[in-house]
Amino acid sequence: MAKGFEVDDELRFSRRDLIVAAAFVPLAALTAQAQAVPAALTPTQLKTLEAFIDRLIPTDELGPGAVASGARVYIERVLAGPNVNEKAQFLEGLEAVDAYAKRTQGGSLAELSPEKRDQILKAIDDGTAQGLPQGRAFFNRARRLTLEGMFGDPYYGGNKGFAGWDLIRYPGPRSAVEADMQRMDKAPAPFRRSAWGPQYQ
Amino acid sequence: MATTLKQVDVAVIGLGAVGGVAVLPLARAGLKIAGIEAGTWMDPHKDFHADEVFNNVRRLVTSSPKAQREIPTVRTGPGEKGVQAATHPMMNAVGGTSIHYWAQSWRLKPWDFRTRSEVIRRYGASAIPAGTTLEDWPLTYDELAPFYERIEEEVGVSGAAGNIQGKLTGVGNPFEGPRDKEYPMPPLRGSGFTDHMADAAKKLGWKPFAPPAAINSQPRKGRGACVYHGYCATGGCHVSAKNSTAVTTIPEAQKTKNLTIFDNAQVTRIETDSNGRTTGVRYIRNRQEYFQPAKVVLLAGYTYENSRLLLLSKSKAYPQGLSNNHGQVGRHYFGHWGTNVTALFPSDINIWYGLPAQGTTCDEWADDHFDHAGRGFVGGSSLHVYTERHPIDAAAMNTFGRAPGWGSAWKKFIHDAAARQAQTYLQTNTFPYETLYLDLDDAIRDPLGDPVCRINTGGMRENERRSVLHAQDKMEEWYRAAGAIEVFKPPPATPGVSTHAYGGTRMGDNPDTNVVNRWGFSHESPNLGILGASVMGTSGARNPTLTAQALAWRTADYLAKNWKSISI
Repeated sequence: MAKGFEVDDELRFSRRDLIVAAAFVPLAALTAQAQAVPAALTPTQLKTLEAFIDRLIPTDELGPGAVASGARVYIERVLAGPNVNEKAQFLEGLEAVDAYAKRTQGGSLAELSPEKRDQILKAIDDGTAQGLPQGRAFFNRARRLTLEGMFGDPYYGGNKGFAGWDLIRYPGPRSAVEADMQRMDKAPAPFRRSAWGPQYQ
Repeated sequence: MATTLKQVDVAVIGLGAVGGVAVLPLARAGLKIAGIEAGTWMDPHKDFHADEVFNNVRRLVTSSPKAQREIPTVRTGPGEKGVQAATHPMMNAVGGTSIHYWAQSWRLKPWDFRTRSEVIRRYGASAIPAGTTLEDWPLTYDELAPFYERIEEEVGVSGAAGNIQGKLTGVGNPFEGPRDKEYPMPPLRGSGFTDHMADAAKKLGWKPFAPPAAINSQPRKGRGACVYHGYCATGGCHVSAKNSTAVTTIPEAQKTKNLTIFDNAQVTRIETDSNGRTTGVRYIRNRQEYFQPAKVVLLAGYTYENSRLLLLSKSKAYPQGLSNNHGQVGRHYFGHWGTNVTALFPSDINIWYGLPAQGTTCDEWADDHFDHAGRGFVGGSSLHVYTERHPIDAAAMNTFGRAPGWGSAWKKFIHDAAARQAQTYLQTNTFPYETLYLDLDDAIRDPLGDPVCRINTGGMRENERRSVLHAQDKMEEWYRAAGAIEVFKPPPATPGVSTHAYGGTRMGDNPDTNVVNRWGFSHESPNLGILGASVMGTSGARNPTLTAQALAWRTADYLAKNWKSISI
């Protein structure tokens, strides 16, 4: 009944500019970011980041930690690509932790022994780090991104050699799973392969 | 100016779980339909991956732009600013969220349709939760049962009947309402762990069962069976075994040539004439504005979008928003209460693979299957344990106070424990309240300049809080019987933006308290139908989709059978 159609005044204004702003982002454009070029973190920032995440998940008798498994590469990439919006805040947090290290332990994070770095992480985790108001938020974010890097698909730059998946006995993404692979009394054989192809490992 | 298109019989706004089924009976009846969908088709080979970063961290399957530009805000009530959530949990696509949902496909219980009367009958009027606007539904379970059966067949649901024509089968859910016949497919298989939990439930004297799912447990209608690969939730099915409307009812409707799909088309207003009849919908596609005239409009967005679009569609006939001259749009909204209880087992439970619909459910503590006298709440929760665990999520697990959150001690802890943690989904009967409603936010707008939807929670609900605590204790009992060495019960929380959002356009006979009549048509604009959980007045203690789909089919069926009187 188009004849009886009445346009409400509220709807009469031109929406063209707003429509452009609301243009649909195709999925392909989003997925392309997965393989973005590493972020332009300064060499110093990279060393500081490594020194921090190395204590979050250390290399020890259970195998490679965050650094050896490439979690740093993952973090660099996400800060340059899909998570670029948090890059400034993340780096600010990182710099603040480094300044705290200099203030309390007499050296930048990358120069300190594992024991001294552990004291710093413990103080932040306990909430006793003085003069580091964003310490907790940075700690949580760095920890989360480190977990994503170490336990995510190797396609994204971390979990090298499937170190993260082996650590927790995740048997790897398969395209189909038989009942026998879901038993409680028998673990499925590890399938060390990226969902994106064998070239990522 | 908007381009005015040729009039169609029916314009359906949204081709998700409900719009996607409603188009089928209409198309079969020979009606010409414009299906207007804000998202587009997804490609199982290109878009769906066995990758946690892709699906769950970046949410690349689910984070379709339209919904993400209009995330509802949440506040307790008047005087506060609404706070926008980080993401919208629902997506726009042909098939909508049925592409990546858990696909648990329950019928509600007869009790859910008559909760108010039943609570008063058994426990007295004082047992009705304070401040609730709860009403009995305008239809009974028996009236909806044929439509449940229809959806189970057309969409494809696997499961085991517990009650066929009043006779308990000894398998399936013994507490369900009577079914006419068995499910179209047997249930999904169990896993070692879900079987172990079923044994533990039996030790407690409970009656565990494999719950129903809109997932092929065997090849059906040209598509394959579930492959249990562990990337079902928040992903999409790479073998099309999950029966989203994108692979079931929508292609079926397209075969009739009566359905034209306009994808990437965002509806901005529903238009009405001076008599209050609905005339069509205005939408934006490829940066152009169109007006699609239609004899009948079916609004089939998600709960938040349904209320929002009505409230935005103001006109001379409806100065407070379409179909809102009684002030009921947005009212009787509620988000489903529920909780997760996690447990640690002494050895590996191997739940990496599978899917959330592969599980064991117990219904002893749901609905009104136990005596509530003296408990201080009505309703209950279904308890569901399931499979599918992703490695980042597993590594991020709660340490149950057994280890710090970092360093070698933590690494040792997750090395032992990450493969031993179980999770549950407890869904709680939830009710509408006077101070719980949707409206439009007064500060936050989408890029088109339209205000987003705002949830006013009204704060904690004592009935639901007690109900959740009770269910968590029962879940702990079940876990302990299965040998769990740690159990963690998170504190009950008021729901925010939810994938189980109900009401806002409630169905009922009384136009003073409901937006749509018993057939799903507006009490005020007779050629406007509304589909979705937004018409439901109670939640049940289980997932809403099958009920929303059965109601949608029923509304569409009613429209087709009464076409002349509704379209005039």
